[in-house]
Amino acid sequence: MVNGEQKTSLMKFLFITMIGLPLVLLGAEYETPKTWFGDPDLQGTWTNASLTTLERPDEYKSLIVNERDALIAKRMTKEFVDAQDNYLEPGETPKAGADVGGYNTAWMDFGTELFKINGDYRSSIITYPEDGKLPRRWIGWGKEAIAIARMFRQADHPELRSLGERCIVGFGSSGGPPMLNVLYNNNYQIVQSPGYVMIMVEMNHDARIIRLNSEFNPDNMRRWLGDSIGFWEGNTLVVKTKNHHPQQKFRAAIRHQILISEGAEITEKFTRVGKNEILYQFEVNDDEAYKDVWKGEMPLRASQEKIYEYACHEGNYAMANILAGARAEEEQ
Amino acid sequence: MRNIFSYVVFLILFSFSYTIYGHHAFTAEFDANAPINITGKVVKVEWINPHAWVHVEVLKESKATIWMVEGGTPNTLIRNGLTKNSIKPGTVINVRGYQSKGKLCLPRCIANGRDITFPDGSKVFMGSSGTGAPRDGSDPKER
Repeated sequence: MVNGEQKTSLMKFLFITMIGLPLVLLGAEYETPKTWFGDPDLQGTWTNASLTTLERPDEYKSLIVNERDALIAKRMTKEFVDAQDNYLEPGETPKAGADVGGYNTAWMDFGTELFKINGDYRSSIITYPEDGKLPRRWIGWGKEAIAIARMFRQADHPELRSLGERCIVGFGSSGGPPMLNVLYNNNYQIVQSPGYVMIMVEMNHDARIIRLNSEFNPDNMRRWLGDSIGFWEGNTLVVKTKNHHPQQKFRAAIRHQILISEGAEITEKFTRVGKNEILYQFEVNDDEAYKDVWKGEMPLRASQEKIYEYACHEGNYAMANILAGARAEEEQ
Repeated sequence: MRNIFSYVVFLILFSFSYTIYGHHAFTAEFDANAPINITGKVVKVEWINPHAWVHVEVLKESKATIWMVEGGTPNTLIRNGLTKNSIKPGTVINVRGYQSKGKLCLPRCIANGRDITFPDGSKVFMGSSGTGAPRDGSDPKER
């Protein structure tokens, strides 16, 4: 038998659990932890590995991908991996004249799923333009084509080869800005100290050192990964980068190909939206290479894994082999 | 006309990007007309970046030749629990791939390893076999 007082308490309990608690949870904002010197704490090891690429594949018509299509993408990737790794019958020798390929997929770490933002799967990192494609200024890209062709064909000495092969910076735009995912080593370690934020990029062991509340260096100073300064906008780290290195203009990986002109201005935002996630957003203003500004966003997810050293120079037998290969071709 | 120009430029750029498989273009280093299918004993494993190298001793008509076989960055495999000790010296493996363009074999012959197989048919470094499936950190069970 329930008396009136018990009935009222039961109603209160039901209201809180069924209506009140979900409302509280929905409205709850993540309380960003602070460093010992009071800045919002972004420190840790993070990964942006994902099947979602910079540009939207033609198969997708919108930024948001439904659950069914996201599952298809996951399944197709597994089938691709199997085909990539098992393209020969047992005992069969690879065919002469075929693509020499690379190494099989175990050496890679490109993710298994499209990433999610606010619970929705995304078809592209690019959020603007709305078609998810780079607004390329084709004349500018055409001018670069010849230089790019030279870079991959000339092998008279190491300095003619690409920056990745020379162990100068990682290939593609893994080190950024903007920092984009590639086939492996998609890990970043953020370390903060008063006045500085350092982002260590596992690919090629590149380190971005962002000076807080500072001025840009003189325009004639062109550093690898550009000149980055930053400031806090509430709990969001805003990073502005300009004076990009001219040799880092063309950034190519199998998952993205972008141009970043010397005069480009790039703004990045890092907002910790949960214990295990940073929302990474960027905007690229580059009139020389693009007809319009382009914007993108992706999550950086916490990783419990270590970042391992990428001591590129010490083990770079490939450079000698590439040059030897060019000499062998010349003799033929 | 402009569309054709754009298409041609894109094809040029994309074709180059395909060769940029990882740290470097394998097509610049290896000869598509020199496929290999070799079996021998592992004598040394270099677990280094930017690429791991497995050294294999191949016997042909009683003559031993050392082949250096190029793999990818070991970082991914280390994260998945594999180390250089996972392939111990003395282990017999089969390697299929392509020889380098430079074929002097001094001091060693060089090849890339599209795959590496043990005598019992099991393969090492196969993403699809569960020994190194790519992870993206989105699954909390992976952590």
